[in-house]
Amino acid sequence: MYQWLWHRLPGGTTTKAACAAILAIAMVALLWFIVFPWITPQVPLDHVMPGG
Amino acid sequence: MRTVLRVFGECCLTAGGIVLLFVAYLLWGTGLTTSAHQHAFATQLQRQWGTHRDANPVTTRLHLVTGQPFAFIRIPRFGRTWRFAIVQGTSLAQLALGPGHVPGTALPGQVGNFAVAAHRVTAGNPFYNLNELRPGDRVTIITAAATYTYQVTHTELVLPGDIAVLDPVPGHPRQHPHEAMITLITCDPPWTGTHRIIVFGSLDAQAPRPGGKN
Repeated sequence: MYQWLWHRLPGGTTTKAACAAILAIAMVALLWFIVFPWITPQVPLDHVMPGG
Repeated sequence: MRTVLRVFGECCLTAGGIVLLFVAYLLWGTGLTTSAHQHAFATQLQRQWGTHRDANPVTTRLHLVTGQPFAFIRIPRFGRTWRFAIVQGTSLAQLALGPGHVPGTALPGQVGNFAVAAHRVTAGNPFYNLNELRPGDRVTIITAAATYTYQVTHTELVLPGDIAVLDPVPGHPRQHPHEAMITLITCDPPWTGTHRIIVFGSLDAQAPRPGGKN
């Protein structure tokens, strides 16, 4: 999977590494700022109220 | 076969990484948002209370608006810098801002049960160490009117359905209260919803708020 992705990235090793880093950061940002805030209230985690 | 195994392994590693990232988000990411809100709340309360400085502190009314702060809570055992603004309401939206006052329960210093719920983890982990409170520990509530010092009396572990802990006399639904109590609520064990840990305290002292200091 990652090997396939690596081959698809353009340029030499440096460009590939830079692209990979940007992709990784974009994925983390997507999870951190959009997916996680949305998913947090959905998981039955840390419900503190009695009766709730 | 080799390729299949490798892709499977990569997926597992990726999933593991995402789970770790999610845990980090819950522990610290949610706390960043909460601390921004708490910062704004502190400024807001100090400004509001500053304008009331000349007013008679005893008659200063508390304005309870859902999602808005009205008091500070300090627990010396959690450290000198541990302080949160308490907001009105305890739905997830309000608990994301900080500890919440359970609607319908007493006000700080009032005879009855002043109940405050907060997250164990997430939202700055306000009640992470609630299980460490011991009888005699102090819990200080600062409002526009006064500083109320409660002393912890005991701790209970209850099931999520046990709403009797919110009664004016905790555990005795029909009794008329004669004492000002505080009830601090969070989940136990951390990260779960299986039990609630409840810390009870009773009002020990109250003093009019020294001008503008909190």
